[in-house]
Amino acid sequence: MEINTPSKSLAVSIASLVIFITVWELVCRLGFIEPLFLPAPSQILSRAVKMIENGQLISHTLSSTRRVMVGFMVSSLVAIPFGIFLGSSRFFMAVFDPIISLLRPLPSMSWIPLSLLWLGISETQKYSIVFMGSFAPSLLYIIEATKSIDPLLIRAARNLGASKLDVMREVILPGSLPQIIAGLKVMLGIAWTCIISAELVAAREGLGFMIMNGKEYFQTDTVLLGMVMISITVMVIDVVFRKFERRLLPWTR
Amino acid sequence: MDPVTSDTKIAVQNVTKIFQSRQGKKQAEDVVALKDLSMEVRDGEFLVIVGASGCGKTTLLNLVAGFDSPTDGQILLDGSPVTGITPECGMIFQQYALFPWKTVQENVEFGMKMKRMPHRERKERADRFIDIVGLKGFERSYPHHLSGGMKQRVSIARSLANDPKVMLLDEPFAALDAMTRQVLQEQLVRIYEKHRKTIIFITHSIDEALLLSSRIMVMTARPGRIAQEIVNDLPHPRNADVQLSNRYMELKRMIWDSVQAAVMKSMEVEAD
Ligand SMILES: Nc1ncnc2c1ncn2[C@@H]1O[C@H](COP(=O)(O)OP(=O)(O)O)[C@@H](O)[C@H]1O
Ligand SMILES: [Mg+2]
Repeated sequence: MEINTPSKSLAVSIASLVIFITVWELVCRLGFIEPLFLPAPSQILSRAVKMIENGQLISHTLSSTRRVMVGFMVSSLVAIPFGIFLGSSRFFMAVFDPIISLLRPLPSMSWIPLSLLWLGISETQKYSIVFMGSFAPSLLYIIEATKSIDPLLIRAARNLGASKLDVMREVILPGSLPQIIAGLKVMLGIAWTCIISAELVAAREGLGFMIMNGKEYFQTDTVLLGMVMISITVMVIDVVFRKFERRLLPWTR
Repeated sequence: MDPVTSDTKIAVQNVTKIFQSRQGKKQAEDVVALKDLSMEVRDGEFLVIVGASGCGKTTLLNLVAGFDSPTDGQILLDGSPVTGITPECGMIFQQYALFPWKTVQENVEFGMKMKRMPHRERKERADRFIDIVGLKGFERSYPHHLSGGMKQRVSIARSLANDPKVMLLDEPFAALDAMTRQVLQEQLVRIYEKHRKTIIFITHSIDEALLLSSRIMVMTARPGRIAQEIVNDLPHPRNADVQLSNRYMELKRMIWDSVQAAVMKSMEVEAD
């Protein structure tokens, strides 16, 4: 079939989703699959209704979202100025390069034991996991982004009387902002991986905890519901982020 | 050498600039971009430097603006040596170098913002210079919506609004079509007559040199030096009549001979 309009491809996507869910539902209803192994969509939905009614679903979702947002914001707020500073100073880049090179290969999950030892099963521990998991890669993205600036623009700014600090604020920051934002979008995904992993290991609330807890009680529907919620939340945040991006980059329109 | 006279704005004294080649340490061949070059620019003059590409014109301008420092010799601005980037020499680049994330207005305000000039004053001044270059109504446009000629006008307004003593223009109109170029040349002459800046203008077009300059220098390549100096005594305004006059042809022939000799010489050097 030819797909030549956006509305046509949307229709195809919706149809595909409906068929997928219907087949899944049928396969479960007809008893081909054990509900404990894979519950039907309707079962997940009724679990969702129950958990919305008792407030648990919203509260788990909100606590994971809050942890991601706080950790990610703090990480970005530190990484952006620091990255721009390192990107514009060869000397300080050389100073910090060995530390960054050591931190970079560490997967975010490898910080979990240390953070538990230092901070216990606390909110601060959750925030710091997100921070540690996303800071080094964000910093590298931002340093890389500063290199995309046309050196002629830096020259022009200096020629018009800009100090080195002015150049960072007026040229390097706005000039690398499109790449920085693209990088931060990827980082947001990593931040979610961090928090879910941390909650799977040790937590008293959050979507990761909800999934792990569902597994403990053999509630496969709760496990799947938790996974679906992660998907939906990340998608919603992505849409919000995109709106925000357009506001921040009016000249790219 | 001549003593630096009182109306000398810029004095380039025995300047040599050598670029060290980076690749292959053993057979590294250094580029002597400028060799023992001396010249003076008088206050308020419109000096045009012509020369084939690669003869060191941009290098010379970059040294005057303080983007780079000479390997040997020195450059004086108002009697004191240029040691770093100085906003007193406003540079206009062939590639415009506008900030894409700033509107026309914000671009023109840039230098004043760097001087921490108050908002109101900045805006008024920017409005004035945007008007001078004929871009009223485009204040809120972003550079990528403008044509090449308009971009270069923004860059001229941006420089003028910053009130430099000297304007350095590096082949500013080379990328524009002939019509736009002519409009901008006339505009630049009007601005020069009104604001009396000292101007160093680089081009490889002899006609452009004759239209704009009060004095012309011809540069030779490898190593870059001044081959000839011509006082342009053509009357103003340099309209079609002037461009068809015998004096115009005479000057053109003179410069052409000199440029040609330089090009032939550099081709011989390359053939060696
Ligand atoms: N940064 C640099 N490194 C090495 N060589 C350079 C550099 N800049 C210019 N050159 C060389 O110096 C010579 C003069 O260059 P340039 O001043 O740009 O010439 P023009 O502006 O007259 O075309 C050229 O041979 C060029 O290759
Ligand atoms: Mg050049």
